[in-house]
Amino acid sequence: MRRVWYFIREAIISIRTHRTGTLIGILTTAFTLTSFGVFLLLYHNVNNLLDRIQHNIQIIVYPKEGLEPAKLDEMKQFLKSNQIVESLIFISKQQALEDFKKQFPNEIHLLEGLPDNPFPSSFILTLTSSTPSTDVTAHLMNRLHDHQDIERVKYNRDWIERLTLIVTYLQWGALIIGGILATASMAIIANTVQLAFYTRQEEMEILRLIGATRLFISIPYLIEGALLGALGGGLAIGFLRSGFAVFKHRIESLSVIGGFSSAFEFFPVPFSLTLLVGGIVLGCMGTLATMLGWMKLR
Amino acid sequence: MIQLFHVTKYFDGRVALTDISLRIEKGECVLLTGPSGAGKTTLLKLIFGSVPPDDGQILVQNRNIARLRRTDIPYHRRTMGFVLQDFKLLPHRTVFENVALPLIIRGLSVFESRRKVAEALRAVGMDHKQTTRASVLSAGEQQRVCIARAIVNSPIILLADEPTGNLDPQLTMEIADLFKSINAKGTTILMATHNRQVVDRMNGRILRLECGHLMADQGVYA
Repeated sequence: MRRVWYFIREAIISIRTHRTGTLIGILTTAFTLTSFGVFLLLYHNVNNLLDRIQHNIQIIVYPKEGLEPAKLDEMKQFLKSNQIVESLIFISKQQALEDFKKQFPNEIHLLEGLPDNPFPSSFILTLTSSTPSTDVTAHLMNRLHDHQDIERVKYNRDWIERLTLIVTYLQWGALIIGGILATASMAIIANTVQLAFYTRQEEMEILRLIGATRLFISIPYLIEGALLGALGGGLAIGFLRSGFAVFKHRIESLSVIGGFSSAFEFFPVPFSLTLLVGGIVLGCMGTLATMLGWMKLR
Repeated sequence: MIQLFHVTKYFDGRVALTDISLRIEKGECVLLTGPSGAGKTTLLKLIFGSVPPDDGQILVQNRNIARLRRTDIPYHRRTMGFVLQDFKLLPHRTVFENVALPLIIRGLSVFESRRKVAEALRAVGMDHKQTTRASVLSAGEQQRVCIARAIVNSPIILLADEPTGNLDPQLTMEIADLFKSINAKGTTILMATHNRQVVDRMNGRILRLECGHLMADQGVYA
Protein backbone atom coordinates (compact mmCIF):
# COMPACT_ATOMS: atom_id res chain seq x y z
CA MET A 1 0.00 0.00 0.00
CA ARG A 2 2.84 2.32 0.90
CA ARG A 3 4.51 1.56 -2.41
CA VAL A 4 1.28 2.34 -4.30
CA TRP A 5 1.06 5.70 -2.55
CA TYR A 6 4.72 6.32 -3.38
CA PHE A 7 4.13 5.54 -7.09
CA ILE A 8 1.09 7.82 -7.33
CA ARG A 9 2.86 10.62 -5.47
CA GLU A 10 5.93 10.37 -7.71
CA ALA A 11 3.73 10.48 -10.83
CA ILE A 12 1.89 13.57 -9.57
CA ILE A 13 5.18 15.27 -8.63
CA SER A 14 6.50 14.59 -12.14
CA ILE A 15 3.35 15.98 -13.76
CA ARG A 16 3.53 19.11 -11.60
CA THR A 17 7.22 19.59 -12.33
CA HIS A 18 6.82 19.29 -16.12
CA ARG A 19 3.60 21.23 -16.57
CA THR A 20 4.23 22.48 -20.11
CA GLY A 21 5.28 19.08 -21.44
CA THR A 22 2.35 17.44 -19.70
CA LEU A 23 -0.08 19.97 -21.15
CA ILE A 24 1.30 19.40 -24.66
CA GLY A 25 0.99 15.63 -24.17
CA ILE A 26 -2.61 15.93 -22.93
CA LEU A 27 -3.62 18.24 -25.77
CA THR A 28 -1.98 16.03 -28.40
CA THR A 29 -3.73 12.96 -27.07
CA ALA A 30 -7.00 14.90 -26.94
CA PHE A 31 -6.50 16.09 -30.54
CA THR A 32 -5.68 12.57 -31.74
CA LEU A 33 -8.62 10.99 -30.01
CA THR A 34 -10.97 13.79 -31.08
CA SER A 35 -9.99 13.27 -34.73
CA PHE A 36 -10.42 9.55 -34.33
CA GLY A 37 -13.69 10.16 -32.48
CA VAL A 38 -15.04 12.31 -35.34
CA PHE A 39 -14.59 9.35 -37.67
CA LEU A 40 -16.11 7.05 -35.10
CA LEU A 41 -19.11 9.37 -34.71
CA LEU A 42 -19.51 9.65 -38.46
CA TYR A 43 -19.28 5.89 -38.86
CA HIS A 44 -21.70 5.27 -36.01
CA ASN A 45 -24.30 7.71 -37.34
CA VAL A 46 -24.05 6.73 -41.00
CA ASN A 47 -24.41 3.14 -39.91
CA ASN A 48 -27.47 4.10 -37.86
CA LEU A 49 -28.90 5.96 -40.81
CA LEU A 50 -28.23 3.03 -43.11
CA ASP A 51 -30.03 0.72 -40.68
CA ARG A 52 -33.01 3.02 -40.58
CA ILE A 53 -33.15 3.52 -44.33
CA GLN A 54 -32.76 -0.17 -45.04
CA HIS A 55 -35.56 -0.91 -42.67
CA ASN A 56 -37.82 1.55 -44.42
CA ILE A 57 -36.88 0.48 -47.92
CA GLN A 58 -39.64 -1.33 -49.74
CA ILE A 59 -39.61 -3.56 -52.77
CA ILE A 60 -42.52 -3.10 -55.15
CA VAL A 61 -43.47 -6.15 -57.19
CA TYR A 62 -45.76 -5.70 -60.21
CA PRO A 63 -47.51 -8.90 -61.29
CA LYS A 64 -48.29 -9.46 -64.99
CA GLU A 65 -51.56 -7.92 -66.20
CA GLY A 66 -54.69 -10.03 -65.99
CA LEU A 67 -53.48 -12.67 -63.55
CA GLU A 68 -56.21 -14.80 -62.03
CA PRO A 69 -56.90 -14.37 -58.29
CA ALA A 70 -55.61 -17.91 -57.64
CA LYS A 71 -52.31 -17.04 -59.30
CA LEU A 72 -52.10 -13.80 -57.30
CA ASP A 73 -52.66 -15.79 -54.09
CA GLU A 74 -49.93 -18.20 -55.11
CA MET A 75 -47.58 -15.25 -55.71
CA LYS A 76 -48.50 -13.78 -52.33
CA GLN A 77 -47.55 -17.07 -50.63
CA PHE A 78 -44.33 -17.20 -52.62
CA LEU A 79 -43.36 -13.67 -51.56
CA LYS A 80 -44.33 -14.24 -47.92
CA SER A 81 -42.28 -17.42 -47.76
CA ASN A 82 -39.06 -15.40 -48.10
CA GLN A 83 -37.29 -15.01 -44.77
CA ILE A 84 -36.24 -11.39 -45.24
CA VAL A 85 -39.76 -10.23 -46.08
CA GLU A 86 -41.35 -8.93 -42.93
CA SER A 87 -44.72 -7.81 -44.27
CA LEU A 88 -46.56 -7.55 -47.54
CA ILE A 89 -49.43 -5.43 -48.78
CA PHE A 90 -51.40 -6.07 -51.97
CA ILE A 91 -52.53 -2.98 -53.86
CA SER A 92 -55.17 -3.79 -56.46
CA LYS A 93 -55.52 -1.84 -59.74
CA GLN A 94 -58.59 -0.09 -58.32
CA GLN A 95 -56.87 0.82 -55.06
CA ALA A 96 -53.87 2.17 -56.98
CA LEU A 97 -56.20 4.42 -58.93
CA GLU A 98 -57.90 5.61 -55.72
CA ASP A 99 -54.53 6.32 -54.10
CA PHE A 100 -53.45 8.36 -57.12
CA LYS A 101 -56.60 10.41 -56.97
CA LYS A 102 -56.10 11.04 -53.24
CA GLN A 103 -52.46 11.96 -53.54
CA PHE A 104 -52.64 14.02 -56.71
CA PRO A 105 -56.13 15.52 -56.90
CA ASN A 106 -54.95 18.22 -59.32
CA GLU A 107 -53.62 15.70 -61.82
CA ILE A 108 -56.82 13.70 -62.27
CA HIS A 109 -57.30 15.28 -65.69
CA LEU A 110 -54.37 13.21 -66.94
CA LEU A 111 -56.53 10.10 -66.65
CA GLU A 112 -59.33 11.54 -68.75
CA GLY A 113 -59.76 9.88 -72.12
CA LEU A 114 -57.95 6.71 -71.10
CA PRO A 115 -60.02 3.61 -71.96
CA ASP A 116 -58.94 1.57 -68.88
CA ASN A 117 -57.44 2.01 -65.47
CA PRO A 118 -53.72 2.44 -66.31
CA PHE A 119 -52.41 1.59 -62.85
CA PRO A 120 -51.03 -1.90 -62.33
CA SER A 121 -51.71 -3.97 -59.23
CA SER A 122 -48.71 -4.45 -56.97
CA PHE A 123 -47.28 -6.08 -53.85
CA ILE A 124 -45.37 -3.82 -51.46
CA LEU A 125 -42.77 -5.79 -49.50
CA THR A 126 -41.18 -4.50 -46.28
CA LEU A 127 -37.92 -6.20 -45.32
CA THR A 128 -37.13 -7.55 -41.85
CA SER A 129 -35.82 -5.15 -39.15
CA SER A 130 -32.49 -6.97 -38.95
CA THR A 131 -30.92 -5.36 -41.97
CA PRO A 132 -30.34 -7.99 -44.63
CA SER A 133 -27.00 -7.90 -46.38
CA THR A 134 -26.92 -6.72 -49.97
CA ASP A 135 -26.13 -10.29 -51.07
CA VAL A 136 -29.32 -11.65 -49.49
CA THR A 137 -31.37 -8.83 -50.98
CA ALA A 138 -29.79 -9.38 -54.40
CA HIS A 139 -30.66 -13.06 -54.18
CA LEU A 140 -34.30 -12.19 -53.49
CA MET A 141 -34.27 -9.73 -56.39
CA ASN A 142 -32.94 -12.39 -58.75
CA ARG A 143 -35.67 -14.78 -57.68
CA LEU A 144 -38.31 -12.12 -58.26
CA HIS A 145 -36.92 -11.25 -61.69
CA ASP A 146 -36.92 -14.91 -62.69
CA HIS A 147 -40.54 -15.43 -61.62
CA GLN A 148 -42.74 -16.04 -64.68
CA ASP A 149 -45.79 -14.13 -63.33
CA ILE A 150 -43.86 -11.00 -62.33
CA GLU A 151 -43.76 -8.16 -64.82
CA ARG A 152 -41.45 -5.75 -63.04
CA VAL A 153 -39.67 -5.18 -59.70
CA LYS A 154 -38.82 -1.76 -58.32
CA TYR A 155 -36.07 -1.49 -55.75
CA ASN A 156 -33.45 1.24 -55.37
CA ARG A 157 -30.61 -1.16 -54.67
CA ASP A 158 -27.78 0.93 -56.06
CA TRP A 159 -28.39 3.69 -53.60
CA ILE A 160 -28.27 1.32 -50.61
CA GLU A 161 -25.14 -0.32 -51.94
CA ARG A 162 -23.47 3.05 -52.32
CA LEU A 163 -24.31 3.94 -48.74
CA THR A 164 -22.96 0.59 -47.55
CA LEU A 165 -19.77 1.29 -49.47
CA ILE A 166 -19.45 4.71 -47.79
CA VAL A 167 -19.76 3.03 -44.39
CA THR A 168 -16.99 0.60 -45.35
CA TYR A 169 -14.76 3.49 -46.53
CA LEU A 170 -15.45 5.30 -43.28
CA GLN A 171 -14.44 2.21 -41.34
CA TRP A 172 -11.13 2.00 -43.19
CA GLY A 173 -10.61 5.76 -43.01
CA ALA A 174 -11.13 5.71 -39.24
CA LEU A 175 -8.65 2.83 -38.95
CA ILE A 176 -5.93 4.40 -41.12
CA ILE A 177 -6.23 7.97 -39.85
CA GLY A 178 -6.70 6.74 -36.29
CA GLY A 179 -3.54 4.65 -36.67
CA ILE A 180 -1.48 7.56 -37.99
CA LEU A 181 -2.74 9.94 -35.31
CA ALA A 182 -2.24 7.35 -32.59
CA THR A 183 1.39 6.88 -33.65
CA ALA A 184 1.93 10.66 -33.63
CA SER A 185 0.32 10.93 -30.23
CA MET A 186 2.44 8.09 -28.89
CA ALA A 187 5.59 9.80 -30.16
CA ILE A 188 4.65 13.06 -28.43
CA ILE A 189 3.75 11.33 -25.17
CA ALA A 190 7.04 9.41 -25.43
CA ASN A 191 8.82 12.77 -25.80
CA THR A 192 7.02 14.23 -22.81
CA VAL A 193 7.97 11.27 -20.66
CA GLN A 194 11.49 11.36 -22.08
CA LEU A 195 11.87 14.96 -20.91
CA ALA A 196 10.77 13.90 -17.44
CA PHE A 197 13.27 11.05 -17.69
CA TYR A 198 16.18 13.33 -18.54
CA THR A 199 15.43 15.81 -15.80
CA ARG A 200 15.13 13.00 -13.28
CA GLN A 201 18.12 11.00 -14.46
CA GLU A 202 19.99 11.59 -11.21
CA GLU A 203 17.01 10.48 -9.17
CA MET A 204 16.79 7.26 -11.16
CA GLU A 205 20.51 6.74 -10.66
CA ILE A 206 19.99 7.05 -6.90
CA LEU A 207 17.10 4.59 -7.00
CA ARG A 208 19.23 2.06 -8.88
CA LEU A 209 22.00 2.63 -6.35
CA ILE A 210 19.77 1.63 -3.46
CA GLY A 211 18.42 -1.50 -5.13
CA ALA A 212 15.25 -0.37 -6.90
CA THR A 213 14.17 -2.72 -9.68
CA ARG A 214 13.55 -1.29 -13.14
CA LEU A 215 9.86 -1.96 -12.67
CA PHE A 216 9.83 0.02 -9.41
CA ILE A 217 11.53 2.95 -11.14
CA SER A 218 9.26 2.72 -14.18
CA ILE A 219 5.85 2.44 -12.50
CA PRO A 220 5.52 6.17 -11.63
CA TYR A 221 6.31 7.01 -15.27
CA LEU A 222 3.74 4.49 -16.48
CA ILE A 223 1.17 6.03 -14.14
CA GLU A 224 2.16 9.46 -15.45
CA GLY A 225 1.67 8.28 -19.04
CA ALA A 226 -1.67 6.66 -18.17
CA LEU A 227 -2.88 9.81 -16.36
CA LEU A 228 -1.79 11.92 -19.30
CA GLY A 229 -3.63 9.64 -21.72
CA ALA A 230 -6.76 9.45 -19.55
CA LEU A 231 -6.92 13.24 -19.27
CA GLY A 232 -6.43 13.51 -23.05
CA GLY A 233 -9.16 10.92 -23.62
CA GLY A 234 -11.55 12.68 -21.24
CA LEU A 235 -10.91 16.00 -22.94
CA ALA A 236 -11.53 14.40 -26.35
CA ILE A 237 -14.90 13.05 -25.18
CA GLY A 238 -15.74 16.55 -23.93
CA PHE A 239 -14.77 18.13 -27.28
CA LEU A 240 -16.78 15.53 -29.21
CA ARG A 241 -19.85 15.90 -27.00
CA SER A 242 -19.98 19.66 -27.31
CA GLY A 243 -19.14 19.54 -31.03
CA PHE A 244 -21.87 16.98 -31.60
CA ALA A 245 -24.44 19.04 -29.63
CA VAL A 246 -23.72 22.06 -31.86
CA PHE A 247 -23.91 19.90 -35.01
CA LYS A 248 -27.21 18.33 -33.99
CA HIS A 249 -28.71 21.71 -33.17
CA ARG A 250 -27.74 22.98 -36.64
CA ILE A 251 -29.11 19.87 -38.37
CA GLU A 252 -32.44 20.14 -36.58
CA SER A 253 -32.86 23.67 -37.87
CA LEU A 254 -32.44 22.49 -41.47
CA SER A 255 -35.88 21.46 -42.74
CA VAL A 256 -34.46 19.37 -45.62
CA ILE A 257 -32.87 16.75 -43.40
CA GLY A 258 -34.72 17.67 -40.25
CA GLY A 259 -36.61 14.42 -40.48
CA PHE A 260 -33.41 12.46 -40.15
CA SER A 261 -32.05 14.42 -37.20
CA SER A 262 -33.48 11.92 -34.72
CA ALA A 263 -31.25 9.29 -36.32
CA PHE A 264 -28.13 11.21 -35.24
CA GLU A 265 -26.91 10.26 -31.81
CA PHE A 266 -23.71 10.51 -29.77
CA PHE A 267 -22.00 7.17 -29.46
CA PRO A 268 -23.00 4.90 -26.60
CA VAL A 269 -21.06 4.63 -23.32
CA PRO A 270 -18.88 1.66 -24.43
CA PHE A 271 -17.57 3.79 -27.35
CA SER A 272 -16.76 6.66 -24.98
CA LEU A 273 -15.02 4.24 -22.65
CA THR A 274 -13.05 2.93 -25.64
CA LEU A 275 -11.76 6.46 -26.25
CA LEU A 276 -10.80 6.84 -22.59
CA VAL A 277 -9.08 3.45 -22.49
CA GLY A 278 -7.49 4.29 -25.85
CA GLY A 279 -5.97 7.40 -24.25
CA ILE A 280 -4.63 5.37 -21.33
CA VAL A 281 -3.17 2.74 -23.68
CA LEU A 282 -1.55 5.47 -25.82
CA GLY A 283 -0.06 7.08 -22.71
CA CYS A 284 1.34 3.79 -21.42
CA MET A 285 2.72 2.84 -24.83
CA GLY A 286 4.42 6.22 -25.17
CA THR A 287 6.05 5.70 -21.78
CA LEU A 288 7.08 2.15 -22.63
CA ALA A 289 8.63 3.33 -25.90
CA THR A 290 10.83 5.72 -23.92
CA MET A 291 11.70 3.25 -21.24
CA LEU A 292 12.66 0.32 -23.44
CA GLY A 293 16.05 1.87 -24.22
CA TRP A 294 16.69 2.80 -20.62
CA MET A 295 15.68 -0.67 -19.43
CA LYS A 296 18.79 -2.12 -21.06
CA LEU A 297 21.00 -0.42 -18.46
CA ARG A 298 22.48 -2.74 -15.85
CA MET B 1 32.28 -12.58 2.17
CA ILE B 2 33.85 -11.05 -0.98
CA GLN B 3 36.13 -13.01 -3.29
CA LEU B 4 37.66 -11.94 -6.59
CA PHE B 5 39.36 -14.48 -8.86
CA HIS B 6 41.59 -13.13 -11.65
CA VAL B 7 39.20 -10.30 -12.45
CA THR B 8 39.93 -8.13 -15.47
CA LYS B 9 37.91 -5.18 -16.70
CA TYR B 10 38.31 -3.07 -19.83
CA PHE B 11 36.71 0.24 -20.68
CA ASP B 12 36.72 1.15 -24.39
CA GLY B 13 39.61 -1.24 -24.99
CA ARG B 14 41.63 0.27 -22.13
CA VAL B 15 42.50 -1.90 -19.15
CA ALA B 16 40.88 -0.66 -15.93
CA LEU B 17 41.73 -3.68 -13.77
CA THR B 18 44.04 -6.57 -14.52
CA ASP B 19 44.00 -10.02 -12.98
CA ILE B 20 42.76 -8.97 -9.56
CA SER B 21 42.39 -11.71 -6.97
CA LEU B 22 41.52 -10.98 -3.35
CA ARG B 23 39.41 -12.11 -0.45
CA ILE B 24 37.64 -9.95 2.12
CA GLU B 25 36.29 -11.60 5.27
CA LYS B 26 33.12 -10.75 7.17
CA GLY B 27 33.52 -7.72 9.44
CA GLU B 28 36.78 -6.56 7.85
CA CYS B 29 37.54 -2.91 7.22
CA VAL B 30 39.36 -2.64 3.90
CA LEU B 31 40.76 0.55 2.45
CA LEU B 32 41.35 0.73 -1.27
CA THR B 33 44.08 3.24 -1.98
CA GLY B 34 45.95 4.41 -5.00
CA PRO B 35 46.11 7.40 -7.34
CA SER B 36 43.22 8.60 -9.47
CA GLY B 37 42.54 6.22 -12.36
CA ALA B 38 44.07 3.28 -10.50
CA GLY B 39 40.83 1.31 -10.72
CA LYS B 40 39.41 1.83 -7.21
CA THR B 41 35.94 2.92 -8.37
CA THR B 42 35.86 0.16 -11.01
CA LEU B 43 36.56 -2.44 -8.34
CA LEU B 44 33.70 -1.10 -6.19
CA LYS B 45 31.37 -1.01 -9.22
CA LEU B 46 32.22 -4.61 -10.05
CA ILE B 47 31.36 -5.75 -6.54
CA PHE B 48 28.20 -3.63 -6.59
CA GLY B 49 27.14 -5.17 -9.89
CA SER B 50 27.10 -1.89 -11.86
CA VAL B 51 29.46 -3.30 -14.45
CA PRO B 52 30.20 -6.95 -15.29
CA PRO B 53 33.80 -8.24 -15.33
CA ASP B 54 35.31 -9.03 -18.74
CA ASP B 55 37.23 -11.90 -17.24
CA GLY B 56 37.35 -13.73 -13.90
CA GLN B 57 34.78 -14.35 -11.19
CA ILE B 58 33.42 -12.26 -8.32
CA LEU B 59 31.71 -13.94 -5.38
CA VAL B 60 29.78 -11.85 -2.89
CA GLN B 61 28.28 -13.93 -0.09
CA ASN B 62 28.87 -16.97 -2.29
CA ARG B 63 26.90 -15.51 -5.18
CA ASN B 64 28.69 -15.14 -8.49
CA ILE B 65 28.11 -11.53 -9.54
CA ALA B 66 29.36 -12.16 -13.08
CA ARG B 67 26.54 -14.65 -13.58
CA LEU B 68 23.77 -12.62 -12.01
CA ARG B 69 20.84 -11.92 -14.29
CA ARG B 70 20.05 -8.26 -14.83
CA THR B 71 16.81 -8.68 -12.91
CA ASP B 72 18.68 -10.08 -9.88
CA ILE B 73 21.10 -7.17 -9.56
CA PRO B 74 18.74 -4.85 -7.60
CA TYR B 75 18.24 -7.61 -5.01
CA HIS B 76 22.02 -8.07 -4.79
CA ARG B 77 22.37 -4.31 -4.19
CA ARG B 78 19.87 -4.39 -1.36
CA THR B 79 22.29 -6.52 0.66
CA MET B 80 24.85 -3.71 0.64
CA GLY B 81 25.07 0.01 1.16
CA PHE B 82 26.90 2.42 -1.11
CA VAL B 83 28.23 5.85 -0.13
CA LEU B 84 29.56 8.17 -2.84
CA GLN B 85 31.68 11.29 -2.82
CA ASP B 86 28.93 13.44 -4.34
CA PHE B 87 26.28 12.38 -1.79
CA LYS B 88 23.51 11.53 -4.28
CA LEU B 89 20.57 12.72 -2.22
CA LEU B 90 17.20 13.82 -3.53
CA PRO B 91 17.52 17.56 -2.87
CA HIS B 92 13.82 18.39 -2.66
CA ARG B 93 13.00 15.60 -0.25
CA THR B 94 13.39 15.66 3.50
CA VAL B 95 16.10 13.80 5.36
CA PHE B 96 13.49 11.26 6.48
CA GLU B 97 12.23 10.67 2.92
CA ASN B 98 15.77 10.20 1.61
CA VAL B 99 16.71 7.68 4.26
CA ALA B 100 13.36 5.85 4.03
CA LEU B 101 13.67 5.29 0.27
CA PRO B 102 15.49 1.91 0.46
CA LEU B 103 12.81 0.73 2.90
CA ILE B 104 9.97 1.77 0.56
CA ILE B 105 11.71 -0.18 -2.20
CA ARG B 106 11.78 -3.23 0.07
CA GLY B 107 8.11 -2.70 0.90
CA LEU B 108 8.51 -2.26 4.67
CA SER B 109 5.57 -1.01 6.73
CA VAL B 110 5.36 2.64 7.79
CA PHE B 111 5.86 1.70 11.41
CA GLU B 112 8.93 -0.42 10.71
CA SER B 113 10.34 2.23 8.37
CA ARG B 114 9.98 4.98 10.97
CA ARG B 115 11.77 2.88 13.55
CA LYS B 116 14.62 1.97 11.20
CA VAL B 117 15.05 5.49 9.83
CA ALA B 118 15.16 6.93 13.35
CA GLU B 119 17.74 4.31 14.31
CA ALA B 120 19.93 5.03 11.27
CA LEU B 121 19.72 8.80 11.74
CA ARG B 122 20.57 8.45 15.41
CA ALA B 123 23.63 6.40 14.46
CA VAL B 124 24.93 9.24 12.28
CA GLY B 125 23.81 12.02 14.63
CA MET B 126 21.16 13.43 12.35
CA ASP B 127 17.94 12.40 14.09
CA HIS B 128 17.12 16.03 14.91
CA LYS B 129 16.95 16.95 11.20
CA GLN B 130 14.40 14.41 9.98
CA THR B 131 12.08 17.03 8.48
CA THR B 132 14.80 19.21 6.95
CA ARG B 133 15.13 19.29 3.19
CA ALA B 134 18.32 17.68 1.93
CA SER B 135 19.17 20.75 -0.17
CA VAL B 136 19.63 22.96 2.89
CA LEU B 137 22.04 20.63 4.67
CA SER B 138 25.79 21.27 4.88
CA ALA B 139 28.18 18.95 3.04
CA GLY B 140 29.05 17.06 6.23
CA GLU B 141 25.37 16.66 7.09
CA GLN B 142 24.56 15.47 3.58
CA GLN B 143 27.23 12.81 3.79
CA ARG B 144 25.91 11.69 7.18
CA VAL B 145 22.43 11.34 5.66
CA CYS B 146 23.93 9.31 2.81
CA ILE B 147 25.57 7.01 5.32
CA ALA B 148 22.26 6.71 7.18
CA ARG B 149 20.55 5.76 3.92
CA ALA B 150 23.29 3.19 3.24
CA ILE B 151 22.97 1.53 6.66
CA VAL B 152 19.19 1.79 7.11
CA ASN B 153 18.72 -1.66 5.58
CA SER B 154 21.34 -3.11 7.96
CA PRO B 155 23.62 -4.16 5.08
CA ILE B 156 26.29 -6.80 5.53
CA ILE B 157 28.68 -4.86 3.31
CA LEU B 158 29.14 -1.10 3.08
CA LEU B 159 30.93 0.20 -0.01
CA ALA B 160 32.21 3.78 -0.03
CA ASP B 161 33.80 5.63 -2.91
CA GLU B 162 35.85 8.59 -1.67
CA PRO B 163 33.19 9.46 0.95
CA THR B 164 35.31 12.29 2.35
CA GLY B 165 36.35 13.75 -0.99
CA ASN B 166 34.15 16.83 -0.62
CA LEU B 167 34.69 17.43 3.09
CA ASP B 168 37.09 19.58 5.12
CA PRO B 169 39.70 17.83 7.37
CA GLN B 170 37.59 18.05 10.54
CA LEU B 171 34.47 16.63 8.86
CA THR B 172 36.65 14.00 7.18
CA MET B 173 37.73 12.72 10.57
CA GLU B 174 34.16 12.72 11.84
CA ILE B 175 32.99 10.67 8.86
CA ALA B 176 35.96 8.29 9.22
CA ASP B 177 34.98 7.77 12.86
CA LEU B 178 31.43 7.11 11.78
CA PHE B 179 32.58 4.38 9.39
CA LYS B 180 34.75 2.93 12.16
CA SER B 181 31.77 2.73 14.50
CA ILE B 182 29.66 1.05 11.80
CA ASN B 183 32.46 -1.45 11.21
CA ALA B 184 32.70 -2.07 14.94
CA LYS B 185 29.08 -3.26 14.85
CA GLY B 186 30.05 -6.00 12.38
CA THR B 187 29.46 -4.43 8.96
CA THR B 188 32.15 -5.21 6.41
CA ILE B 189 33.54 -1.99 4.97
CA LEU B 190 35.29 -1.53 1.65
CA MET B 191 36.27 2.09 1.18
CA ALA B 192 38.11 3.67 -1.74
CA THR B 193 40.12 6.66 -0.62
CA HIS B 194 43.35 8.43 -1.35
CA ASN B 195 43.20 10.44 1.84
CA ARG B 196 46.17 9.48 4.05
CA GLN B 197 44.44 10.81 7.19
CA VAL B 198 41.43 8.58 6.62
CA VAL B 199 43.64 5.55 6.03
CA ASP B 200 45.50 6.22 9.27
CA ARG B 201 42.33 6.91 11.25
CA MET B 202 40.48 3.84 9.98
CA ASN B 203 43.38 1.54 10.77
CA GLY B 204 42.10 -1.17 8.43
CA ARG B 205 43.55 -3.54 5.86
CA ILE B 206 45.06 -1.62 2.96
CA LEU B 207 44.81 -2.66 -0.69
CA ARG B 208 46.88 -0.56 -3.03
CA LEU B 209 45.92 -0.32 -6.68
CA GLU B 210 48.07 1.20 -9.39
CA CYS B 211 47.15 1.31 -13.07
CA GLY B 212 44.66 -1.50 -12.60
CA HIS B 213 47.09 -3.78 -10.76
CA LEU B 214 46.85 -4.82 -7.14
CA MET B 215 50.25 -3.74 -5.83
CA ALA B 216 50.09 -4.46 -2.12
CA ASP B 217 47.89 -6.55 0.12
CA GLN B 218 48.70 -8.86 2.98
CA GLY B 219 45.59 -10.87 2.27
CA VAL B 220 45.99 -11.45 -1.46
CA TYR B 221 44.02 -14.54 -2.42
CA ALA B 222 45.53 -16.33 -5.36
